[in-house]
Amino acid sequence: MKLLGKALRTCAFAVLAGSLFPALTATAAEKEAPKDIVLTGDAKCTSCHDENDSPEALRIGKTKHGTVADKRTPGCTNCHGESEKHVKEAGRGSGPTPLVDVGFTKKNTATSAEAQNAACLSCHQGSTRIFWQNSTHARRDVTCASCHTVHDGHDKVREAKSQPEVCSNCHKEQRAQFARPSHHPVPEGQMSCSSCHNVHGDNPSQLQKASVNDTCYSCHMEKRGPFVHNHQPVAEDCAICHNPHGTNVANLLKARAPYLCQECHSHDSHPSSLAGLPTDRAANSNAYTVGRGCVNCHTNIHGSNSTVNSATAGRFRR
Amino acid sequence: MKNFNTTFRLTAIAAAMLAAYGSAFAEDDDLEALTKPDSSISVGAGYWTNDRQQQGIFDGMRDDHGYALIDADVVKRDDATGTWFKFETDNLGLESRKISAEVQQQGNMGGFISYSRIPRVNPLKISSGIQGVGSENLRISGARTSTTDSRLPFHDVDLATYRDLVHVGFNKNLLKDFDLKLSFKNEEKNGSRHWGLGSAALFTAEPIDSTTQQLDVTLEYTGEKLQLAGGYAGSWYRNKNDMVCAGVNVNNNPVNCLTATGSASSPSWTPLSLPLDNQAHQFFVNAGYSFTPSTRATLKLSRSVATQDETIPSIRLGGVNAPFSGAPSKLDGEIVSTLAELGLSSRPTSKLSLNANLRYYDVDDNTPLFGFVGNNTTRAVTVHNTPHSYETKSGKFEASYLLPERFKLIGGIDIKDQDRSAPKFVDERYVPFVESVDETTYRLQLRRSMSETLNGSVAILHSVRDGSSWVAPHEPNTLRDGGSIYDRINPLHIADRTRNKWRLSLDWAPVEAFSLNFNIEDARDDYQREDGRPFGLKDGRASLVSVDARYAFSDNWQITGWASHDVTRAKQLSGRWARNTTSSVPNMLKDADLNDTGDSVGFGLRGTLTAKLKIGADVQWTRTQSSYDEDTSAARTASEIPLADIESRLTRLSMFAKYALRKNADLQFDVIHERWKTDDWSWSFANGSDFTYGTTTDGTVVSNKPKQTANFIGARYIYKFQ
Repeated sequence: MKLLGKALRTCAFAVLAGSLFPALTATAAEKEAPKDIVLTGDAKCTSCHDENDSPEALRIGKTKHGTVADKRTPGCTNCHGESEKHVKEAGRGSGPTPLVDVGFTKKNTATSAEAQNAACLSCHQGSTRIFWQNSTHARRDVTCASCHTVHDGHDKVREAKSQPEVCSNCHKEQRAQFARPSHHPVPEGQMSCSSCHNVHGDNPSQLQKASVNDTCYSCHMEKRGPFVHNHQPVAEDCAICHNPHGTNVANLLKARAPYLCQECHSHDSHPSSLAGLPTDRAANSNAYTVGRGCVNCHTNIHGSNSTVNSATAGRFRR
Repeated sequence: MKNFNTTFRLTAIAAAMLAAYGSAFAEDDDLEALTKPDSSISVGAGYWTNDRQQQGIFDGMRDDHGYALIDADVVKRDDATGTWFKFETDNLGLESRKISAEVQQQGNMGGFISYSRIPRVNPLKISSGIQGVGSENLRISGARTSTTDSRLPFHDVDLATYRDLVHVGFNKNLLKDFDLKLSFKNEEKNGSRHWGLGSAALFTAEPIDSTTQQLDVTLEYTGEKLQLAGGYAGSWYRNKNDMVCAGVNVNNNPVNCLTATGSASSPSWTPLSLPLDNQAHQFFVNAGYSFTPSTRATLKLSRSVATQDETIPSIRLGGVNAPFSGAPSKLDGEIVSTLAELGLSSRPTSKLSLNANLRYYDVDDNTPLFGFVGNNTTRAVTVHNTPHSYETKSGKFEASYLLPERFKLIGGIDIKDQDRSAPKFVDERYVPFVESVDETTYRLQLRRSMSETLNGSVAILHSVRDGSSWVAPHEPNTLRDGGSIYDRINPLHIADRTRNKWRLSLDWAPVEAFSLNFNIEDARDDYQREDGRPFGLKDGRASLVSVDARYAFSDNWQITGWASHDVTRAKQLSGRWARNTTSSVPNMLKDADLNDTGDSVGFGLRGTLTAKLKIGADVQWTRTQSSYDEDTSAARTASEIPLADIESRLTRLSMFAKYALRKNADLQFDVIHERWKTDDWSWSFANGSDFTYGTTTDGTVVSNKPKQTANFIGARYIYKFQ
């Protein structure tokens, strides 16, 4: 039995030693030539910024940037620069660590917004970002990293439900409007800011399309017409009457009827009526404020195709 | 002894293997967890205790019952080929569901298909006798007389629309730097929408049954200096309904707009037009060229043609609904839009940046003018169609200069020059028009950014809008003083206006654990009202104050909070005249001060109680107020009661607890308390009773529920994998 035990111990030691030896020799070899962990050529960085030091940095492997089979994907230095001083001096001596050449955090105050964005645009200048440099965001020092989390598989700003949270970091007015009773379903996650806005573009209000109406028609094509009877402000700009982010009045109207309508229409008879609720059903001929207001009767207010031979055919009632 | 030996043998071998490979396996696992895409599947159930008419308009959880909570986010990548496989569902158990699948070999080609539904459920309670909701024939409850009873049995009418969107996309890298992208969307929209009869305040519902399609084909070139994107964008709207025939029930006579009786202005059966099929085709080119790393030019060109040439259905009607005999059967509508835009951005020195932009945008309504309404005896046309065209030329120039201490000074000017059409025939101009609008905007901003602790900006804007001579509207009344009623207003979107706006924002992050954001802005519009045109908006104001803060007590505990207060105000002056008056002097001046106020407060807490238990809570409180102060130059009658203020409040408290059952599985509990309260009188009479359509007929009752309180409890199992 003792012999058996000794044999087992010997075997175990042999397995252990045999297993450890290549590991030990490999470790020695790796010290001479560190291996990449995620990206092509990342060993220059990940020899220090490994899973213990910077696990968040390695999460880039979860993203499209980490798809090394796509030969276009970058290594660390493609975005952060060669950063030789940082490589040589980091962790040595007692002084502060020199920063990388191109940094995307607040610590890297030496990297301008243009320089940060240039690192991204060296690959991403095409498609919907052709006009980035003339966009309001670019001209106000917004960087790609201001909105995008590059080292994470779930980039909040690219997901409909979490995108408004990112945008509202700056756009407080729109956040307040989305809290109003009538709003597009952005808080509910059914739409996102980028449903209407190309934040990388230079269209007016950074809209997806060339104009407000063209953007609205993407979903509200029934308003495009042209109608037999076009309502002029409708054909020009939906935002004359509607605030797309949210209002206190139903259907995103900027003001309640009849006030909204009386901002253009003021003449004799009922268009100049005083706002007020009918006392009861018998007074319903004065239903200019209650219910849908003027639209109780002018029900096709966005445009009408009526050909009924009536003198008031052009007034969007049919 | 046997046990000893067995134990020893296993322990020794295990120890040897563990020592040799165990840490390597663990390291590999840790690395995989860090570098491979994450996936999760979540399955659970939830229950709302009450209906949520207001808060449940869009989210698919309007009613008081149980809901299946199913979400999945499956992301796999074949590292050898760089091929992604994605499958995602969101709210699969709800009406507001989304589901998508994607296969993408990165850098080569890929495709996706997605389906989503957006519900929009009308929050009002409607009780009506109307028959035919959802169809093109609507019969409204009639009256009871001494001889007949044309009333129809009442029932609840639930109005809702549903958008079902299927989106298919494909992309292919053709050659180095060349990509082809295809996108096709097909959206079916169904349901019914709150509508009216047209001649009087009677309830009807517009039938919605339409298809919207969008096709985008884009070829892109992305070179080091030159980038191009060009292609085609087509869109089609198809309405399965083209006209509604509606009327008040009389003796159950059949719905019939073809041979209606009565008069054209008050027919027995009223034809209500619907949007007709339309389509648009656009070709576009976008280009950018970087002359140097700091100087870039861009070009944008597009031309689109939108047409509407469907046969107008009401043209076939007879009786009192018969059209003007000279009216065409089709509109032949055509709108041609042309866009040309040139941009230039440059940084001539490291401190100076310049941006310039010239834009030409022409929306040309080429629809021929037809007479659609007229006198069939005299052949005189009284109503034509109304095309509107706009040609807008605009330019922007902006310069920014980097000052010491990371301050940047930005100055800019925007110039807009718009030529506009006005209806040709004076009798068809119901408001004043202008044939051109000019607007010049000056902007100045001082900002500090890219600092580790303190960033901010202060900006001011001044703009002046004015136009050419006005194009007067008609004046159907023969006024004894020779003045005008219709020509005494400045429509808000073309009125001369001066706008002044300023904004201050501040970001302060003194330590990594704490950050504060403060924002205040104020905009004021002053509408210049010429002597002869005193009515319309006088001035407007919009202001906002907001504060956001975040504090991390530790790595495990974090709190966020925000508050905002905003006010939108408009003052407008209107006149009131009696019908067919002979005096341009109004019998009442109405001076209204309209205010909309919003106050919101939010708090969020995220914490880790133990290694396995995470909790969170969010509170949102929002109050909106609207007031309608209106002074009148003449005494109100007893029935002209001033409008009361409206206040609406939403309070929502949501909490969750997530317990890690295993490394790859969580159990999450959610609790929500939601309270909505409003005193909105939109669907009330002055005496507080529910609004009722019609005087002697219809009788549809519409109301909203002023207090809506609901609680939600849900639990879900979340399985995570890679």
